[in-house]
Amino acid sequence: MSVSGDSLWITMREKGYSRREFMQFCSFAAATIGLGVQGKAEVAKAFEQKQRPPVVWLHFQECTCCSESFIRGSHPIVADILLDSISLDYTETLMAASGHQAEKSLADTIKKYAGKYILLVEGSVPTGADGVYCVIGGRSAAQILEEAAKDAAAIVAWGNCASYGCVQAAKPNPTGATPIQELVGKPVIQVPGCPPIADVMVGVITHILLFGRPPELDSRGRPKEFYSRRVHDTCYRRPYYDAGLFVESFDDDHARKGYCLYEMGCRGPVTYNACAVTRWNDHTSYPIQSGHPCIGCSEKGFWDDGPFYRHLPSFPGFPIEATADTIGAALGVGVAIGVGAHAITTNIRKRPVIQETQAESVSEPTDKKKVD
Amino acid sequence: MTPTSVSYRRIYVWELPVRAFHWINAAAITVLGLTGFIIGHPFSVAYTQEASFQYWFGTVRFIHFLAGYIFLINMLMRIYWGFVGNAYSNWKEFIPTSRSWIGDIKEVLKVDILQTSVHGPVHVGHNRLAGLIYFGTFWMFLFQALTGFALYAPMSRLFVGKLATWIVPILGGDQNVRHLHHTMLWFYVAFAIVHVYLVFYHDYVEGRGTTSSMVGGWKFEREDYLDKH
Amino acid sequence: MSTRIVVDPVTRIEGHLRIEAVVENGVVTDAFSAGTMVRGIEKILKGRDPRDAWAFVERVCGVCTGIHALASVRAVEDALKITVPPNAELVRNLMYGTLSVHDHVVHFYHLHALDWVDVASVLKANPVETSKIAQSLSRWPKSNPGHFAAVQQRIKKHVESGQLGIFANGYWGNKAYKLPPEVNLLAVSHYLDALEWQKEIVKIHAIFGGKNPHPNYLVGGVPCSFNLEEVNAINTERLNHVGSLIKDAIEFVEQVYIPDLLAIASFYKDWGAIGGGLENYLSYGDMPTRGYNDPSSFFLPRGAILGRNLNEVHDVNPRDLDEIKEYIPHSWYKYAEGDQVGLHPWKGETEFNYTGPKPPYEHLNVEGKYSWIKTPRWKEHAMEVGPLSRMLIAYAKGHTDVKDLVGTVLGKLNVPVTALFSTLGRTAARGIETQLLVHEMKATFDKLISNLKNNERRTFNPDSWEPSSWPAQADGVGMAEAPRGALAHWIKIKDKAIDNYQLVVPSTWNASPRDAKGQRSAYEASLIGTPVSNPDQPLEIIRTIHSFDPCLACAVH
Ligand code: HEM
Ligand code: HEM
Ligand code: NFV
Ligand code: SF4
Ligand code: SF4
Ligand code: F3S
Ligand SMILES: [Mg+2]
Repeated sequence: MSVSGDSLWITMREKGYSRREFMQFCSFAAATIGLGVQGKAEVAKAFEQKQRPPVVWLHFQECTCCSESFIRGSHPIVADILLDSISLDYTETLMAASGHQAEKSLADTIKKYAGKYILLVEGSVPTGADGVYCVIGGRSAAQILEEAAKDAAAIVAWGNCASYGCVQAAKPNPTGATPIQELVGKPVIQVPGCPPIADVMVGVITHILLFGRPPELDSRGRPKEFYSRRVHDTCYRRPYYDAGLFVESFDDDHARKGYCLYEMGCRGPVTYNACAVTRWNDHTSYPIQSGHPCIGCSEKGFWDDGPFYRHLPSFPGFPIEATADTIGAALGVGVAIGVGAHAITTNIRKRPVIQETQAESVSEPTDKKKVD
Repeated sequence: MTPTSVSYRRIYVWELPVRAFHWINAAAITVLGLTGFIIGHPFSVAYTQEASFQYWFGTVRFIHFLAGYIFLINMLMRIYWGFVGNAYSNWKEFIPTSRSWIGDIKEVLKVDILQTSVHGPVHVGHNRLAGLIYFGTFWMFLFQALTGFALYAPMSRLFVGKLATWIVPILGGDQNVRHLHHTMLWFYVAFAIVHVYLVFYHDYVEGRGTTSSMVGGWKFEREDYLDKH
Repeated sequence: MSTRIVVDPVTRIEGHLRIEAVVENGVVTDAFSAGTMVRGIEKILKGRDPRDAWAFVERVCGVCTGIHALASVRAVEDALKITVPPNAELVRNLMYGTLSVHDHVVHFYHLHALDWVDVASVLKANPVETSKIAQSLSRWPKSNPGHFAAVQQRIKKHVESGQLGIFANGYWGNKAYKLPPEVNLLAVSHYLDALEWQKEIVKIHAIFGGKNPHPNYLVGGVPCSFNLEEVNAINTERLNHVGSLIKDAIEFVEQVYIPDLLAIASFYKDWGAIGGGLENYLSYGDMPTRGYNDPSSFFLPRGAILGRNLNEVHDVNPRDLDEIKEYIPHSWYKYAEGDQVGLHPWKGETEFNYTGPKPPYEHLNVEGKYSWIKTPRWKEHAMEVGPLSRMLIAYAKGHTDVKDLVGTVLGKLNVPVTALFSTLGRTAARGIETQLLVHEMKATFDKLISNLKNNERRTFNPDSWEPSSWPAQADGVGMAEAPRGALAHWIKIKDKAIDNYQLVVPSTWNASPRDAKGQRSAYEASLIGTPVSNPDQPLEIIRTIHSFDPCLACAVH
């Protein structure tokens, strides 16, 4: 009945059936084999009898927004994932147990399901000062990560924190915030974004469940399924970009017409994310649709690529207002002045050579009056 | 001053491919610089049609990309010519290979830049300093082509862009690539000012036909100087 | 006999909180609250463009997402003397309400409820009885026996699978759980409903700010534009969407949250005398209706109450260098002038100075420094902040809606006003506030529509956008009433860049370590006297701690 060991529910879901349709099928099956409606759940149970993959969600230097984003998932909704698809054995945000009972949940899963559990990490790991910048249950983030990563079947880095260090890794990175990829010594599925889109997060997990393998990744470890296109290439304001119709100030006439936000510093052209297609909050909107330029929140190190409202970042080591153009223009003027000064010097110091050269021409059988 | 009589020899220095490269390159860079600047700072269009009737920014970008291809192919051609062309165009002319080069470069600096000495060595092709600078310039060309094509890759189906994308993570993401690509514009502006000035300077001071050499290929050198070297 | 209980991690909160409590004869006699994660965001802000600051500080916390952004744009606007157009204020208020309502509901069901609700007992419930109770409480359409039976089945299946997931190792069966199985089933069922609903209301953030979590804010207004002749801006469709989300929110809060709160609270009235802690309450106020510079127009009023004296509300001035100060005698920082002084945030410093044990460790040295949280004081008083403070100050100031609602709730529970000063009171105040806010959101939305009707559609003030128009030096303070309480950001701008940026956050007030005089902050104070029936299960401790809705990423930042 099932394909490659998957339960019927998984198979049906692969074929695009919803949970409700599955339950309807089960009640139909129950009726035909004479169990009546009461038996519906039993049948469903039999068809579904398969262990839910154990999942551990660790929290380090984070704002918990990735967790918050995750619970905004709309298809499937998070309750369905938690109750039916995975066994979320550890997450500080939602789990009932605290203290040593919570630590036990973590230890039990790591031990009992060695090599079988999925490790999801939210937040970066501070490597400065022996790890004292993030300590949980008396142990440093680095110690906890090392232990949890060792026997994980797959590791997912949620958001920019776990993928790239995010805001706490912005200059001067006071705590030595480090992406987990650099610490675990294993391949990591990077799901950048600050936070990532809820349905992308859900999509990454369900991809593993549905297809029994991690999604195809790009060279930087991101699922191609969600990060293969720039926001700019999928942006609905793109025609205004090509037409050269730009917003020049917030809420100006062009803003009210929804023109392109390029001149307001939009990072869509340099940002790989699904925002413009998948959109946020069940397809409701995305930053650009609301009138704000993309700040590039799924890109590595985007915090230090600012200021956000300008096309070009400020130039390291110069005042905040200085861009490549102000510095470049100054350089151009400087060079022009230098060249002018050189020309004047040349006429003074090279006089003998110039005169000598000019004198040479006299030997040619031409009009002598033209010389001197 | 008493007129002196000297005889000159006409030397075919810049072969046609070198000259062609030079002017195509100069034109491409001018176009790339202008269109690039507009891409970085689109001007506002006062009267606007609906987006579907208008494509000026797309056109500017198209010209930039087209010039980018010309720039790249032209550059590759020149590199090829550095192996098969005449001695003046050979790749060895650009890379300091012996100790005497360093001395020559110091000499050129003294003669032409600081002007602390009046007479200097004669080079029929590039002088040693120029050669070194062009060598650096070629790396800049390569860098600009790499960053440009890396930025272009997501919009292109051709393999050319894909060949350059490895540079993106090295430079720390697309925004950094774009920033460096943009910043390099000013390198070209500075280079062009100095370069054109120096060409005219040499012509003015030495009267060897430096300027026209890049058009006709011929330079003029004093027989006695040539004999000395 | 005294034992030292360590609760770390405290879960169902935001961030990394450690509680060490001394328990004697089944009662907490002393407690220490420590924030164990720091990022140094104040240091990172130095030298940045003030117009970008909102995005950095928004990442202080994703649970109270957006509120730091709001405080930040207000701080910059204060420094640069920018006033925002009326519609920007209304949009900000709508986003404000959205956050608070969302945060409060999620707190109640997903972060707090399992302290009161025994999930395991759900299996013993009679779904028909549950539906009778539910129908007696409200007219929520899902309150039918079939629905509750299905939920029960689902939980049953979950339990039988042997994989308890987030419910594993909970304190099920602890005798501090008092609800009958039917009410437990009701609550668990609404836990799931709330989980599904919470993702809806935040769409208001998505519409005005592009996404949630972490919607976009803007110095000088809001990024969205209104245009009733354009498909590409906030138009009637977008507005309708907001309108119906508010309508649904009112429905959910009135038909599910408030009835559940009252039903559950009625079994735990003894908690109306536990966990009171501090007697001082502080609120900066929020939801301006005539511009942020006129606090008298705020829907949630500003003020301070000392010694639970509801007859006097003191004025609060965050600009006064003597009112608010941050201390660090027990925090892992150092001040240039020594660790005993207090610094007003405009003069604030953030210099790490870890002196604690090297991890892994068993206990913190609570005699010395033991937390990454600084200790803020208002006129040297330890203050509690949060929904309870807001409701008390509004009550004391005679806010009629608040007075009515507080009266109704106290009446329904049949408890005295003093029951507000407690763990139960904190949890009830959050519900009362949510109820107020959903209606205020509706009123705000109506105002917005009427402005648009009058062709008022500006959302941004461009006057001081360009840095060239800024003075060489400017100081500002931006306040907000975050879901967890009084929040303020102090900024110093110099040469168009941030020179100093200091945040004093609600959980900084509540979760901080004691001060040099030994005065405890809110968490530590409220734990004193809390009963602990089973020292191995810190259920009562987390009950009181959860009533504050801790956010440690906020507290430390
Ligand atoms: C001397 C050579 C070049 C110069 C001076 C130049 C200059 C520029 C400048 C100033 C920009 C604007 C950058 C910004 O602010 O976003 C730009 C953009 C760009 N250039 Fe170049 N460029 C050169 C060569 C190339 C080449 C060889 C390519 C390859 C196709 C290329 C492709 C691009 C692309 C794809 C962009 C971004 C356009 C966009 O955002 O859509 N460039 N260039
Ligand atoms: C009026 C404009 C220009 C004139 C008259 C001119 C002339 C010349 C001359 C005479 C040389 C040979 C230099 C030598 O003997 O050392 C040369 C080489 C060169 N020029 Fe120009 N140039 C002009 C503009 C430019 C521009 C705009 C660029 C690019 C930005 C450029 C790039 C180069 C390069 C790369 C070489 C080395 C060529 C090689 O060896 O293949 N030139 N130019
Ligand atoms: N404390 C705190 Fe927040 C809130 N509410 C911020 O201001 O939670 Ni994250
Ligand atoms: S990536 Fe962004 S949203 Fe996610 S935890 Fe980090 S700061 Fe928060
Ligand atoms: S708004 Fe941004 S992403 Fe969209 S087309 Fe313009 S520049 Fe590209
Ligand atoms: S700011 Fe982030 S949310 Fe999307 S549109 Fe840009 S990547
Ligand atoms: Mg602070």
